[in-house]
Amino acid sequence: MPSLKEVRSRIVSVNSTKQITAAMKMVSAAKLRRAQDAILRMRPYAEKLQAILGNVSATLDASEGRYAQQREVKRTLVVCITSNRGLAGAFNTQITRVARRLAQEAGHEVHVLCVGKKAMDTFRRTPMNRPELPQDLAGLFDGLSFDKVAPVAQMLMDRFADGTYDRVVLVYNRFKNAATQVVTTEQFLPVLPTAAPADAKATTGEYIMEPDRRTIVEEIIPKSLKIQLYKALLDSFAAEHGARMTAMHKATDNADALLKDLKLSYNKARQAAITGEILEIVGGAEALKG
Amino acid sequence: MRVEIITPDQELFKGEASYVGVPGVDGSMGFLENHAPLITVLKAGEVKLRTEQGEQSFAVKGGVVEVSRNTVLVLAE
Repeated sequence: MPSLKEVRSRIVSVNSTKQITAAMKMVSAAKLRRAQDAILRMRPYAEKLQAILGNVSATLDASEGRYAQQREVKRTLVVCITSNRGLAGAFNTQITRVARRLAQEAGHEVHVLCVGKKAMDTFRRTPMNRPELPQDLAGLFDGLSFDKVAPVAQMLMDRFADGTYDRVVLVYNRFKNAATQVVTTEQFLPVLPTAAPADAKATTGEYIMEPDRRTIVEEIIPKSLKIQLYKALLDSFAAEHGARMTAMHKATDNADALLKDLKLSYNKARQAAITGEILEIVGGAEALKG
Repeated sequence: MRVEIITPDQELFKGEASYVGVPGVDGSMGFLENHAPLITVLKAGEVKLRTEQGEQSFAVKGGVVEVSRNTVLVLAE
């Protein structure tokens, strides 16, 4: 049986760990709410843009244009969206695992663009990380905004247009709810033809297009790509805090269970010590009597 | 007519206005009540609104405008 003092010091240390995990849970919960708000603010823009695109391209074949070119895939770029910090359960390892598997199954050259410190830590020393790709995208998450994300999306589009990559894929955690993250693999480029909404055809004819349909489509497609990347980042950001909240909740529960056990063995040890002392006193008294 | 100005990060304006001026790629444009349905692309400039409370303007870097059913939708950047 461990000594009283040992048990007491373990109780103290488990208790302070519990306080930390409980605090981290609260912080994540607050950040999660902010991240969810950002998703909600972005949603109307994304929906309306999609609607306009549907209106405009209903009669125009969306598969033309330089971001929709289907080429034989010789080189793929995987955009790996992870978090900057750990302690979020399997959040980051799942992403890097999927990216690795994509690379193995591809059968051609695969490069990785790391967003978030954790992906960078994993891929920095592998041949999949290329020095010519931006290495400092971890800062993207400090005050995540559309203005910060747009240039990255533009860079991806440029690399696709100039033929450096024939396919760009996003791998990220999609935010389903606070407790659930879904690892998602999504094609970014070339643009997949969007299914126009059924009612779009009826209205297209009525619109005046200024300057013309093609210019408008070419203007809107990059915008919707930027939104797609922004959405993936926002989702991943919210999912990260959700994952951390769950992980910290479990850690706090575990600490509680541990504390209960420790308290029990502390009380047992204390009781044993008291019984021992009484025995000694009684023994001593008996000896004096005799 | 109803006017909405939306950016990816927030909603800048939502409400009634009697006139909307936007910087179109081929020169600026103005929309009044009951304008015909139209879609156009914007360049950097200012979106101007005339409402009951007076004139308001928003700086944009570019964007798309859709006018339909007496509603002006500005997707700005």
